[in-house]
Amino acid sequence: MTPKTAAIRPRDRDTIVSALRAGVVPRIGLHHIQVGRQREIEAMIRDIDRIAEGGATIRFVIGSYGAGKTFFLFLVRQIALQRRLVVCQADLSPDRRIHATGGQARSLYAELAKSLATRTAPDGGALRNILESYIQKASEKAAARGQTIETAIRDGLGDLREMVGGYDFATVIGAYARGYEDGDVALQDSALRWLRGEYATKTEARSDLGVRTIIDDASFYDALRLLARFVRIAGFGGLLICLDELVNLYKLQSVQARKQNYEQILRILNDVLQGTTEGIGFILGGTPEFLMDTRRGLYSYEALQSRLAENSFAANGLADYTGPVLNLLSLTPEELFHLLERLRDVFAAGKAEDWLVPDEALHAFMEHCAQRIGEAYFRTPRNTVKAFVDLLAIIQQNPGVDWRDLLGSVEVMEDSGASADHEIIAAADDPDDELVTLRL
Amino acid sequence: MMSLSLSAFDRLAEPVRRWIWQQKWSSLRDVQEKAIPVVLAGGDVVISARTAAGKTEAAFLPLLSRITTSGRSADGFGILYVSPLKALINDQHRRLESLCEGCDVALHKWHGDVNEEAKARARKRPSGIVLITPESLEALLVRRGGEARGLFGRLDAVVIDELHAFIGTERGMQLLSILSRIEVAAGRDRIDRIGLSATLGDMRLAAEALRPGAGDAVTVIEGKDEGNGLRLQIRGYLLPVPPAEIEGEPTEEGTAPVDTFEGNDVPDALANDLFRLLRGRSNLLFAGSRARVEIYADCLRRMSEASRLPNEFFPHHGNLAKAIREDVEQRLRDDPRPTTAVATTTLELGIDIGDVETVAQIGPGFSVASLRQRLGRSGRRPGKPAVLRIFVMEPAATKGQHPIDGLHVDLVQSIAMVECLRAGWCEPPTPTGLHLSTLIHQVLALILQTGGVRAAVAWKLLCERGPFRAVDKLLFGDLLRSMATGRLIEQSPEGLLMIGEAGETLTESYEFYPVFMTEQEYRLLHDGRLLGTYPLSMPIARDETLIFGGRRWQVMDVDDHARVIVVRPTRAGKPPYFTSGGAGIHDHIVSRMREILAGSEAYPYLDDQATLFLENARSAFRHMELARRSIVPFGSGVLIFPWVGTRKLRTLMLALQARDFKATQMRHVIEVAECSVAGIVHHLEAVAAAPVDGGALARRLAQPQLAKFDAFLSAELMSRVTEVERLDLPALNEVALAVLEPAYAIESNRL
Repeated sequence: MTPKTAAIRPRDRDTIVSALRAGVVPRIGLHHIQVGRQREIEAMIRDIDRIAEGGATIRFVIGSYGAGKTFFLFLVRQIALQRRLVVCQADLSPDRRIHATGGQARSLYAELAKSLATRTAPDGGALRNILESYIQKASEKAAARGQTIETAIRDGLGDLREMVGGYDFATVIGAYARGYEDGDVALQDSALRWLRGEYATKTEARSDLGVRTIIDDASFYDALRLLARFVRIAGFGGLLICLDELVNLYKLQSVQARKQNYEQILRILNDVLQGTTEGIGFILGGTPEFLMDTRRGLYSYEALQSRLAENSFAANGLADYTGPVLNLLSLTPEELFHLLERLRDVFAAGKAEDWLVPDEALHAFMEHCAQRIGEAYFRTPRNTVKAFVDLLAIIQQNPGVDWRDLLGSVEVMEDSGASADHEIIAAADDPDDELVTLRL
Repeated sequence: MMSLSLSAFDRLAEPVRRWIWQQKWSSLRDVQEKAIPVVLAGGDVVISARTAAGKTEAAFLPLLSRITTSGRSADGFGILYVSPLKALINDQHRRLESLCEGCDVALHKWHGDVNEEAKARARKRPSGIVLITPESLEALLVRRGGEARGLFGRLDAVVIDELHAFIGTERGMQLLSILSRIEVAAGRDRIDRIGLSATLGDMRLAAEALRPGAGDAVTVIEGKDEGNGLRLQIRGYLLPVPPAEIEGEPTEEGTAPVDTFEGNDVPDALANDLFRLLRGRSNLLFAGSRARVEIYADCLRRMSEASRLPNEFFPHHGNLAKAIREDVEQRLRDDPRPTTAVATTTLELGIDIGDVETVAQIGPGFSVASLRQRLGRSGRRPGKPAVLRIFVMEPAATKGQHPIDGLHVDLVQSIAMVECLRAGWCEPPTPTGLHLSTLIHQVLALILQTGGVRAAVAWKLLCERGPFRAVDKLLFGDLLRSMATGRLIEQSPEGLLMIGEAGETLTESYEFYPVFMTEQEYRLLHDGRLLGTYPLSMPIARDETLIFGGRRWQVMDVDDHARVIVVRPTRAGKPPYFTSGGAGIHDHIVSRMREILAGSEAYPYLDDQATLFLENARSAFRHMELARRSIVPFGSGVLIFPWVGTRKLRTLMLALQARDFKATQMRHVIEVAECSVAGIVHHLEAVAAAPVDGGALARRLAQPQLAKFDAFLSAELMSRVTEVERLDLPALNEVALAVLEPAYAIESNRL
């Protein structure tokens, strides 16, 4: 259990602290604050390996609000990047769905394409790097075989052309390569724009690039498959696609729209299970109701329910980490204590002599939280972590203060879900207000 | 041009002034002169003037001046114009086209008949002016909730045409709620509202209807322009003497679903006059119930055929197939052939028929507001006055008639309503109205618009900020629970309200967007035989006696879901002549009736027969000494004349029934059988002094689902609605007291 207190770089330290105080997942230094979930991570590493070997995977990462889904997905992405996968990620929202007719699916694709990341470009925007890596490979091949670069580029995309919608996809990549060779920036930009799904009309795409199609709502999944195939051609292991906040599909207010989105998920699931796709992995993050609500969740769709139903032996502490559904169990109190220790380490930049509070304070803090919000404090740790980091920040900046004096005034809120982010009118969360606590 | 006032004209933007030049106007109209500086200054404004006085320009000249600088930049609509009628939108589009062109401002028509591409174009590059109906606006908000900020974020002002038609109605509540939702979605504190209204007696009413809770801050502008004028007449007709009553068994069987009981044979003189006055023009004839619509339409059709003329009289009511109704509407709107639509109240609501030459009405109708609506259907064209004829039938004086017959209630009520109309008075919206049905609709719409909303947020938006101010958090919680029981909504684990299974079916249809319903009726059954129909809006209680088709019936059972009343005949004495209907008549009208009966004023718009009726009624009033007493002995019981509106009358009657009196409502009078004046006085004194148990009274009443979503209210909420919207409990003590002291009553009526 005792962590190997590695030295923590000041940049990592600051990023982690400010992200946690804002209640979001830090982009770097995740391993400093990772606790528990060893077997889940192992399962994901197996997935990543399978993708890198040309296989296909899909995982539904299911956990309540604040259980650490987003954190978990970040961690998996970082591992995937280390293993030479290309990674992209996007949150679903009312304007970004898997299936739509009003541009919401294209918008999700565009968000994914924009976020494409590689080990060398971990913060997204890696599409250009991937393209250039391919051109690099093609020109090496051309030199070796004595071909023109153009021919090598075209030949290399032969596979792609065979796929659904692949002809235009390959043509646009060819156009990028031409622009790259000729120094035609406008052509490169047009090609990038096309590949990122940012063209809204076919006429425009035709005049800029000479292709008759664009990536639109209907071609959302096909375009991702093409992208996955292409990154392998370009020399990467495969493509990992992380979609978070799938609860937004559950929240769709029209049966029709929900059904169509679930159909699309079924199609992806079938392709993966049957092995008809390669080098592609999906991670879909959502809350339990998104999966299990039989009226509006995934389970409302019969075909999905039978494919996703949990292994009936996986109960009473036994777990099955090979099924498509990965339930993120809540942290245990021990794991939370461990997490607090690690946070203390982060503040102390890894030096035990700089710890701001003694172990005794960690116990007292957990007790305080338990009194305030019950067991939610370790089940959904987001707010607990935030409160603890706030506490440490105060003690650090006011060296004379005793943690005991501060503890009483620490406010911990129960996690009420993410929807407050896009609330249209501010409603004070007055606990006396019967409507706030109303349950139908 | 020199006569144009420098102040108003010069403050308009240059392109607007150029357009006025091009129109060769010699001067601005009075209402425009007054409105321009006020509208330019910003804030909420009500502009009232007669029809065709130039209200539209009074609003749009300064508003265009306000937005013309922003030109055609597509960063959101500039002005939203909401009108209850599609036809009006088409008219306004024609009127504003050249003006907008001159100012280089886009102008979009947006209603059910506008094609989708035009709307899509407007949505993609939102700018300029949108002319839209409340229902289309609702649909836009519900289906494109995410775009609301982009579409309305830069909105400069909202213009509401025919504001008076929205006051206190379901549609009005919906519109106010939509506007509030737009303001919130656009991230704006408030967006200027400009209301265009007919002249009302109390303009503060319109101001309050424009901005609920802040009507005082609304500037009211009243134009003094003479409108096209109003020509009206009340014509009296003697009812044919009813056929001798057959004891026990009421008339023949196997009749069509037409209430042959109502004495509905159209008097010959009336039929001839209708035919003579209406033929050859386009008219609306409001005949009352559906059955009566059929009778009149059929009678007039047969007269056309007998004279070998093409038929131009067509029925229009809620029971007819939609296609048939639309044929009539279209013929009235687009066909040059003269057409008369014989209608129930259907054509008052937002149905498009353009304008007609004259409006005719059988009987007094229910409200001045509806009279005003009906009247507004004619006289829209410049130089053409609005023409209204009210045809009133009264029974001839016979021996042994009911004393109420002598008062010629229909005629006196018609006069009272016309007088109120002339005085610019109109029923104020009931301040206590809960509008729970419309609130249900708005909760669903809000969920669709936002993709899910928390209960506390929904309450804040709709009730605290929006127009449903009579609904507190507790009641709102009950309403949500009621909706959840009906599976209209459900809740996500973190508390988000979402559309439930039943709600999904409901909201997917286009019929979801309008909140108003066409009028509905109970079917009246005796021994499984259909006697006729009875308006749903008439509060009715089990065991009470009702008068229908010239007979007294005891109500055995009321089924609110099947909309059936089961009755059986009673053997009590002959009732007064009685037209079913007449729910919700306002206190002010009844108190005017009393003044008319007690007074001696002559009304120039009465024809000879009507004048004669009025003289007879006044003499009956004197004969019964009603000026100094409100309780008159009659037969073995008494008649009570409280001179109050339907709600108060119903409340008083229920209170008497609760004390085991055999009380029956007859128009504006309560007849109590088998009691003495002293006895009733004694109990009225008790009623006047006792605290009111509202729930107990409300539960006595049947609770029909009047409004569109009433079916989803729980029994307690429905009872609450009945208590608040259909009874007037706070007034009960006072009404009882007033009956005991007529002198006091006159005082209070004048308030």
